Amino acid sequence: MNLLAQILVNGILLGGLYAVMAQGLALVWGVLNIVNLAHGAFIMLGAYASWYLYTDLGVDPFLGLPVTAAALFVLGYALQRGLLNLIVRAPMFNTLLITFGLEVVLTYLAQLAFSADFRAINPPYAGNSYALGPVTLPMARLAAFGVALALTLGMWLFLLHSRLGRAIRATAQNLVAARLYGVEPRHLYAVTFGLGLALAGAAGGLYGTVSQINPYIGATLTAKCFAISIIGGLDNPLGVMVGGLFLGIIESLTTLYVGPTFADVASFGILVLVLFLRPSGLLGRAA
Amino acid sequence: MTAILEIRNVTRRFAGLVAVNQVSFTLGEGEILGLIGPNGAGKTTLVSLISGTLEPTHGEILYQGRPIGNLPAYRRARLGIGRTFQIMRPFPGLSVLDNVAVGALFGRGGGQPDLAKAREQARACLDFVGLGRAAGQRAEELGGPGRKRLELAKALAMQPRILLCDEVMAGLNLVEIDEVIEVIRKLRAAGISVLVIEHVIKAIKSLSDRLLVLHHGEKIADGAPDEVLADAEVVQAYLGRQRA
Amino acid sequence: MKAGRAILALAAVAALAGVPWYGSDVLVQFGINTLLLAVLAQGWNVIGGYTGYASFGNSVFYGLGSYGVAIAMVQWELPFAVGLAFGVALAVAFALLLGLPVLRLRGHYFAIATLALAQVMTAIVSNIALAGQNIGLVLPPLNNDPLFYELSLGLLVLATLTVAWLTRSKFGFGLIAIRENEEGAAVMGVNTTLYKVAAFALSGAFSALAGGIHAYWITFLDPESAFDIGLNVKMIIMAVFGGAGTILGPVVGAFSLSAISELLSSEVTSAAGLFFGAVIVAAVVLMPRGLTDLLRRYRKSGWRYFIENIRAHKL
Repeated sequence: MNLLAQILVNGILLGGLYAVMAQGLALVWGVLNIVNLAHGAFIMLGAYASWYLYTDLGVDPFLGLPVTAAALFVLGYALQRGLLNLIVRAPMFNTLLITFGLEVVLTYLAQLAFSADFRAINPPYAGNSYALGPVTLPMARLAAFGVALALTLGMWLFLLHSRLGRAIRATAQNLVAARLYGVEPRHLYAVTFGLGLALAGAAGGLYGTVSQINPYIGATLTAKCFAISIIGGLDNPLGVMVGGLFLGIIESLTTLYVGPTFADVASFGILVLVLFLRPSGLLGRAA
Repeated sequence: MTAILEIRNVTRRFAGLVAVNQVSFTLGEGEILGLIGPNGAGKTTLVSLISGTLEPTHGEILYQGRPIGNLPAYRRARLGIGRTFQIMRPFPGLSVLDNVAVGALFGRGGGQPDLAKAREQARACLDFVGLGRAAGQRAEELGGPGRKRLELAKALAMQPRILLCDEVMAGLNLVEIDEVIEVIRKLRAAGISVLVIEHVIKAIKSLSDRLLVLHHGEKIADGAPDEVLADAEVVQAYLGRQRA
Repeated sequence: MKAGRAILALAAVAALAGVPWYGSDVLVQFGINTLLLAVLAQGWNVIGGYTGYASFGNSVFYGLGSYGVAIAMVQWELPFAVGLAFGVALAVAFALLLGLPVLRLRGHYFAIATLALAQVMTAIVSNIALAGQNIGLVLPPLNNDPLFYELSLGLLVLATLTVAWLTRSKFGFGLIAIRENEEGAAVMGVNTTLYKVAAFALSGAFSALAGGIHAYWITFLDPESAFDIGLNVKMIIMAVFGGAGTILGPVVGAFSLSAISELLSSEVTSAAGLFFGAVIVAAVVLMPRGLTDLLRRYRKSGWRYFIENIRAHKL
């Protein structure tokens, strides 16, 4: 019983991290209709950025998150403005291909720059943990979860209640009308994509504190983020949170009761079921 | 006149909105039936219900005496129900000729298995609607009036028994409207029963044998065009105020 | 098909068929790989290029074909041809059973669903004893590269002829209508469900045959390599680079990209992937309709071809 509780807690902590990983993907997908196959690679870049901040400059990984996020925001803005805006009106399939190409490029660049060694970010307090009744809460994971929660709430508030957030959503829904209102779509699109990457970067920084990083983690992470976004529904950051928690718990349970190799099968199996039965996701409106 | 199409108490709901409410009418064989009503009255929904794109929430649709309410769209096409779309939907990557050939390949009775013969039929249909010269162009290159005619030709190639025309005259000038009226009359002469949805009152008045009026999803008039257009309720619904 | 073109095509096939005689062993092996990739690309072309349903899971059919041959030959000691037939049967069964629910999804949802299915298959097959579980199976060796080469070439010719047949048949027209406007196609009498599933099965059959030939050639397979997810993106990129929805596009794409990839990896090893990715990015922006379209239009428009593409698609 205690073991089950521990597993559930692990799943929740993991799920929170998964959720913030997927937020950026869901944002860009739901709002800009861009399916970013390179999303995981950007998470990977964020992780490395955090690692360098910590290892070379001694910046605490959590405190350094805003820097990582800002750097990736700039990268995202430039990418959208300079490259992706060129294919926005092409069939959606083209964004799949181009982001795939980006993924290949980023992975190889990372391999060249960082070598294939595994790295981890281990601040001194990483080994600590709290005991909460029968379960143990590792400090790093708990902190990651907390930040993830805060980011998700922040996203939700931003998109639904701030002027810029509403402008973004308006532009996504009706480009012509937005233009008539004086909104500059190229800028807004770039801001949105930048935000998506900023979230990926922050997620990467968090990821680095709880797991090992190497240049190849991108593809698997992208796949997971897809699963989460679809399971949770694209329209709502809270939906993505639910999706992330759901996936985290399922993975933890599967790892314990069936076997570690089946964690992926479980995630993808559920993804397929959701697509068959309720494509709009657990919390989304019709796509 | 025998009824080739019978709509009985058909209702269609969309989560909270009732788009079509207990509508009943018949389309006689060889008849041209006009359907008018303000925007949002449910006309296109009704056409979608007949062609099979949507299924009725309640009510029956009978074609040649047989209920077809739960048949999928392609089966109804094979029975001989053709339609044009208000928002025109050509197959953009195909030529004008091939667009129409699809109708010949798949229309009534399952269509024609031979591509060459289908293209011949397509050419005849294009000539019928006056688009013969555009056969080799890409469908997306056609202008508005051309696309309207293409819609007609595509539906015609299916060899339909009934044709549902959804606003084929919208956006056309007077000359073009007259030409479309001619085409529809030719269709009736060829044995096709036609349901015409239009906003151009003058055109539909001269074209229709009978006129149907839809308002807020309900049928509010059904009869000879002159009578219907003089009906006070229709005038109020459609034109917004009493006219002397 | 005009006589001139037909002669050209025959000459090309004859030239390719002669490679085992005038080419090196390495070239023959490169040829087999490229030809099989071209078959995969052509198979994808049926469902992705002509029907408009971009499957990211055709690797499943490839894997089923591989395992079909392996199980038939190793566990049941049946001849290769029977194994191939078995592999195709598995693929078609999969297409029929799972095609129905999956093909109800549109656009990128379909893509993701097929990708997810592909991921799941690896794990499932790893647990089937008949398939040798995680360890895989070892087939009886047959050391005859030229034979496999000719088989692969024959399969590619068959696949390409099938696609050519599509463009002049009622079935193919139905698929194209579905791609261009599915609802419009249904209203005109196309049984869209039947046609989509048939296209999926046809696409799967070719992929399975390619997998079967590959398995016997390599003599060994395990779940990871048989159901290799990377194949999906390869076949899609090749088909799209060459020109999806055209008869020769996938062939051109497979040949050219394989050649580029091979050249690069012999020149600069790690930059190969980098260049590949950059090529993809540039191609999507500058020539989204693929090489065949570029070759056709370039004569007319020259450099403006690229600018026109960008202008048509940018924000």
